[in-house]
Amino acid sequence: MPRKDYQTQLTDLRENVLYMSEVVMERLRMGLDALEQKDDELAWEVIEGDEEVNQLYLDLEGECIDLLALQQPVASDLRMIAASFKIITDLERIGDLATNLGEYSLDADQDVFPEVDIQELGSLTLDMIEDAMVAYDEESADGCYEIADRDDDLDALCERASEIVVRDLIETELENNTEQEVETLLQDVSRLLLTVRDLERIGDHAVNIAARTLYMVENDDELIY
Amino acid sequence: MSKETMTTSNPGTETEDDDSLASPTPGSEAVEESSPSRSSGSERTVIESRNLDVYYGTEQALQSVDIQIPERQVTAMIGPSGCGKSTFLRCINRMNDLIDAARVEGDLLFQNKNVYDDDVDPVALRRRIGMVFQQPNPFPKSIYDNVAYGLRLQNKTENLDEKVEEALKGAALWDEVSHQLDESGLELSGGQQQRLCIARAIAVDPEVILMDEPASALDPVATSQIEDLIDELAQDYTVVIVTHNMQQAARISDKTAVFLTGGELVEFDDTQKIFENPEHQRVEDYITGKFG
Repeated sequence: MPRKDYQTQLTDLRENVLYMSEVVMERLRMGLDALEQKDDELAWEVIEGDEEVNQLYLDLEGECIDLLALQQPVASDLRMIAASFKIITDLERIGDLATNLGEYSLDADQDVFPEVDIQELGSLTLDMIEDAMVAYDEESADGCYEIADRDDDLDALCERASEIVVRDLIETELENNTEQEVETLLQDVSRLLLTVRDLERIGDHAVNIAARTLYMVENDDELIY
Repeated sequence: MSKETMTTSNPGTETEDDDSLASPTPGSEAVEESSPSRSSGSERTVIESRNLDVYYGTEQALQSVDIQIPERQVTAMIGPSGCGKSTFLRCINRMNDLIDAARVEGDLLFQNKNVYDDDVDPVALRRRIGMVFQQPNPFPKSIYDNVAYGLRLQNKTENLDEKVEEALKGAALWDEVSHQLDESGLELSGGQQQRLCIARAIAVDPEVILMDEPASALDPVATSQIEDLIDELAQDYTVVIVTHNMQQAARISDKTAVFLTGGELVEFDDTQKIFENPEHQRVEDYITGKFG
């Protein structure tokens, strides 16, 4: 395969990773909207759309393997492909977690704990993914460090949200509720805690993307674990 | 170029001490070789160039090359055609002496001795610094005689059978040719011929083996065998290899030197560093195929 095509393949890989990130972020936005609006149709769209994300992942994995096998990349090219190979795994996992939000939305049947702002947490995670992908696109080391710093704030907010939920549950008087009402409340609490956990994990995946991008840009593995 | 100069061993030098590079002294006694103790993983410098310039007539082939080649490691020289990597290789054992227009300036030290000093005998030097070429060049002799050639020239014929066997085993060829030692070396396959040349080189126990694209004329299987062999040889010898195949350099070498156009050594570092994160943009551009 001519070397000219190799450069085109590298450009295509980068653009396809960015495209996959756009698809995944859209799924995450839809999952958050489904949760907020209790929109079953939107929730199903997110759940069924995960197949597209999985296929994108497999296609990009194939592109990376082909480049490694056929072009024997080195130096910055190798780092870009290796980083992309890892980043698409994080994007695929974010897609799975967005699907979880859709499933939580389908199961939820009442508002609980309005003081926990899921949309705010979701917005923070979306911003982190978006900025991590901008850092990847623009090869910005500074952007990578900034994502890692923001994850500490997200973790603190998620921990605070979980504390609120657990504390309220402990303090809720359930004597006057029916068994069915208690069961529903527990399921909603459980779903809310899982939602907070999933959003926190999405933040971790955004940090992973930033870490691999930093490796790609500067051969620096400081942010990897 | 005579056949003798194409090999590690050379005729007419059988009376010198093996550790000496000095010109032969008439009437001196033959001295049995004594191998210095060798420890694996050594970082001791065995070859060093300082401000080395080489000219072919008025054309400069190498520019102020400074490099320290470590003992018992594989050092690869890569770069585009005409960059001077083979010229540098041939300076190490003074093969460039055979080119009338070649002129060398600066220092090239082997074991801290400038190989271009007046008192250095190039033939003695080449016995300690063997060379293997792109095209396998066995002599039109039997397999046995090819390997024994240098030993006989040095009057080291005691236990000759054992020495030939040891060299063939060292070149990973013994199992394939032990039943046909009397057959011509030219009857072997290309890969076997190249390993025969390596056996011929190591039979006289050199300290350094220079390889000028030793696998470029071989098929992938023979190439793989040569690469495995190079890895094993580095346990006992310092190996310096010129290759156009960057993946081969990445696979088999510990250190890589990148020469670029004009005979400039642009970067010399651990092979992993060169191929993962080179310091110089020009090296990055070359190894990623954006230049050259």
